Amino acid sequence: MINTHEQEKRQFKRLFQQQGVDRFDKRFQVLDAFLKLEHHVTQKDISLQLKNDGIYLDDEFVVSSMEHLCRFGFANRVEFDQRGEILYEHRHLGVHHDHMICTKCGSILEFRDEALETLQRRVAEAYGFHMLQHKMEIYGLCSQCMAHRNRLVPLHKAKPGEKLIVKELEAGKKMQLRISSMGLKIGDLIEIVSNGLGGQVVIAVGENRLVIGTGMAQKIWVRSIAKMQEQGIDSPLELKENLDSSPMKLSQMKAGQEGIIARVSGESVLRRRLLEMGINRGTKIYVEKYAPLKDPLELVVKGYHISLRVGEAANIVVEHVISKKR
Amino acid sequence: MKSNLTIALAGNPNCGKTTIFNNLTGARQKVGNWPGVTVEKKEGHLRHGDYVLRIVDLPGTYSLTPFSIEEITARDYIVNEMPDIVVNIIDASNLERSLFLAIQVLELGRPTLFVLNMADMAEARGIKIDEKKLSSLLGLPVVFTVGNKNKGIDVLTEAVIEEVKAFDHGKKSRNIRYSNEIEGCISKIEAVLTDAGIEDEGALIRWKAIKILEDDKIIKGKIQGLPLGKEANVLADAASCRSRVFDLFQDDFEIVLTDDRYGVIAGIVKETVTNLAVKRIDMSRNIDLVLTDRYFGLPVFVFFIWAMFQLTFSLGAYPMGWIESFVGFLSGQLDIMMAPSLFKSLLLDGIIAGIGSVVVFLPNILILFFCIALFEDTGYMARAAFLMDRVMHTSGLHGKSFIPMLMGFGCSVPAIMATRTLENKKDRILTILMTPFMSCSAKLPVYIVLAGSFFAQRAGTIIFCLYMTGILVAILSGRLLRALFFKGEDAPFVMELPPYRMPMLKSLVIHMWDRGKMFLKKMSGVILVGSIIIWVLSSFPTNISFSVDYDTQLVDLETRYSDPIYSADSDAARLEIEQAFDADFKEIENRKEQERISKSYIGIIGHALEPLFKPIGIGWQASVALVTGFVAKEVVISTMGVLYGVGRDNGQALEKALKKSGMTSLSALSMMVFVLLYVPCFATVTAIYREASAKWAWFNVLYTTMVAWGMSFLVYQAGMFLR
Repeated sequence: MINTHEQEKRQFKRLFQQQGVDRFDKRFQVLDAFLKLEHHVTQKDISLQLKNDGIYLDDEFVVSSMEHLCRFGFANRVEFDQRGEILYEHRHLGVHHDHMICTKCGSILEFRDEALETLQRRVAEAYGFHMLQHKMEIYGLCSQCMAHRNRLVPLHKAKPGEKLIVKELEAGKKMQLRISSMGLKIGDLIEIVSNGLGGQVVIAVGENRLVIGTGMAQKIWVRSIAKMQEQGIDSPLELKENLDSSPMKLSQMKAGQEGIIARVSGESVLRRRLLEMGINRGTKIYVEKYAPLKDPLELVVKGYHISLRVGEAANIVVEHVISKKR
Repeated sequence: MKSNLTIALAGNPNCGKTTIFNNLTGARQKVGNWPGVTVEKKEGHLRHGDYVLRIVDLPGTYSLTPFSIEEITARDYIVNEMPDIVVNIIDASNLERSLFLAIQVLELGRPTLFVLNMADMAEARGIKIDEKKLSSLLGLPVVFTVGNKNKGIDVLTEAVIEEVKAFDHGKKSRNIRYSNEIEGCISKIEAVLTDAGIEDEGALIRWKAIKILEDDKIIKGKIQGLPLGKEANVLADAASCRSRVFDLFQDDFEIVLTDDRYGVIAGIVKETVTNLAVKRIDMSRNIDLVLTDRYFGLPVFVFFIWAMFQLTFSLGAYPMGWIESFVGFLSGQLDIMMAPSLFKSLLLDGIIAGIGSVVVFLPNILILFFCIALFEDTGYMARAAFLMDRVMHTSGLHGKSFIPMLMGFGCSVPAIMATRTLENKKDRILTILMTPFMSCSAKLPVYIVLAGSFFAQRAGTIIFCLYMTGILVAILSGRLLRALFFKGEDAPFVMELPPYRMPMLKSLVIHMWDRGKMFLKKMSGVILVGSIIIWVLSSFPTNISFSVDYDTQLVDLETRYSDPIYSADSDAARLEIEQAFDADFKEIENRKEQERISKSYIGIIGHALEPLFKPIGIGWQASVALVTGFVAKEVVISTMGVLYGVGRDNGQALEKALKKSGMTSLSALSMMVFVLLYVPCFATVTAIYREASAKWAWFNVLYTTMVAWGMSFLVYQAGMFLR
């Protein structure tokens, strides 16, 4: 590969000097940076590489240089539907490849298959079409995403009485907002109350019942807890403990314990204030420590630290309490 | 499109709003209060291309519910003043909580822009936010900034102008959609509101509908202008919606909506945030392992406070000395330059002395606020409150009240200004009212003279007990006032413990200077008037008919001594005679001053108050001294010096004179208790007036006097009884 790159650089020098392209040295630096990178890169990646090499060039210049490189056949421009941004890849003359793009994780696979190449040519010929060039892009799920998907079932296929965890929402923006506004989010523990009648699924989330239409249910991917425990994956240890422990007041929890908020009571001002600060039902809450004089306690909620008086904490009921080392 | 744009900055406390504000405006800012409330208002200007941007810093809040003044102020500003754009600053490392306020701001229907600040922190914590997706989900521009490194500010300014332009060309802000039940209620109320003839200004009608459903008293009050029947319609419909929601969810509408909002936010966060979830070392947590530790926490806190106290009052003593000597030099020069006249006396003894007595606090204020800003900017202030809340809560206060109360031992003026760190107004007023009971350093000389004269060996113990009494009275007052005036309004102690941050010198200095400026501007006017009044009281009437003709006595004295001085046979003898002359001269002058003060208005007031002071064992001279103590507590001793005829600066002689005058140790104790508790100095009362209100200033004057009199009465009468 290094040799090919050296060869490319030599050709570049010759071609660019012949054509009298301006600012030769700098363009050469762009090429150098580009060749250092493998796979599919954006202009930003190239700029970053340049910066790492201690070279500062403005974005426009990099883009125009890349255009030149494409024109002289040192690079290929590829645009994949999903990303919507321009990617560049190396173009080594005489070497052709095609792409597979994972729609979930966005990874790009390069492949080359002689049979496919011949088939393409043959198909074109059959239509009396003279093929000059072709671009083959296959969209789908990569093997890793697929392995992950295999363990999941869509909600409408779950059986009544099954306990499940919501793992994925495969919905558009609007639908996602709607699902989450119903109080359903990834990681939620749900139980199927009934399934099948009129295509609707009735589920229980905490103390809430939700009715979900088939259309929506198909897009909610869940995973069975029973199966998880059988297979011993995703370390359901935490979960098992969750299902056993009984609810308690936040003020009774010890430092270093974590639980899920089941209820927030108390007078409305306090309650609303707590809700506003993100202490709402279903949120994970971790007791960091008590103050030296035992009164306010420090909690971690939604990734930030907050302090409450013990009296106020008594208004919050927490379930699934487990001890956790941080 | 107009070229003067108003930009409102909204955001949570600790989201780096002030830093961005400082970066945008540089030094071109002014600090004041929002009209009618003591919530700080900051404004600044920025010129960008053809545009002049006026930037208004809204109070930092977590929500827009009308529970606190800050929230109402922020909300009213956006609704009533209609800024051209609201820039919502979001702590990128804390997206979920920040969005709660952000989407409420979005609901107000003004053009809105989101700034993801502290992008570097978020990155360090492994949080990656897809700003394009966030932008397209909510239909508004999203900009990344790093406030403390001044990154992204230009992009922000550009985006602001672009967005205002877009709205000029008819862009509308996007509504957040909630669950079906909630949406149903909202559209129903929207319909009745439109029907009732409320004009749709932007998206405000939707917002109003939501607020009416949330049972928001302020918005409900606003629809009272509607024709009677219509208003009833709206309210009835809202009530029926609320009850239906209650039946469905077993909870109030506002609680359900809050849950719903978090639902929506959870959705947005899921869509836009990738948590790379690599557990980084959490610096803040490690620091807290020491600073809020069960064993180390309090000692470290005590050390910090001690250091702050030392800096403020010991280091501050040097510039104070310079200012004092400068004022002294100035009045000395003027004294020489000007011929004696009433005007001269006014200028020197009234105005210069009065202003000087205030300006002298400036170094203290600057240093104290530098320290406080340091505590706040690093995030230690919240920890201090966390550590001390248990203690302060016994007197019904917030943990943060500790610092103002403690500063009260130095001087009440900066202490009262320090109460600004308290977010809750009730806590603030309560703290302000309790602070004067902390025995300030100016009262110490009084104790030293009195306790030194009458308790000799036990002086130290007595002074210590006085300090303790002050604290005890403060705590009891706190409980009493809380029970009387702030019943059942104990603000919840829901306080964020923000991550520790490196403070920026620039923002510390700006903060310090703001306070200094505010202090000078606000205090000087009132102090000037007050000093003149007190000067008038103490120097009028001028035509006092003295019981003895002191001037003739002085002339006599001179003639009596002039011959012996001339005819003295040696230098030593002459010196001796001269000294005798000086002593006699001073004595006569002292007696004259003594009589003058006792016959001036202030003396007349003192005499008039004598019956009041009798039951607590204080004579008329001490009464006058106490009255003059209103100017400043230091004055008490010097006035007593004058009135007991030993001159202003003669402590030793004063002790003797006090003992001779028939003052007993009991009345001395009673007087010390009175000095400890009675009306704080004029500057403090002014500070209370500025920080709370005239009503509370008057209340403080009356309350402290009553408490002081009552306690002294108890001490004196109990002492008389036991004797």
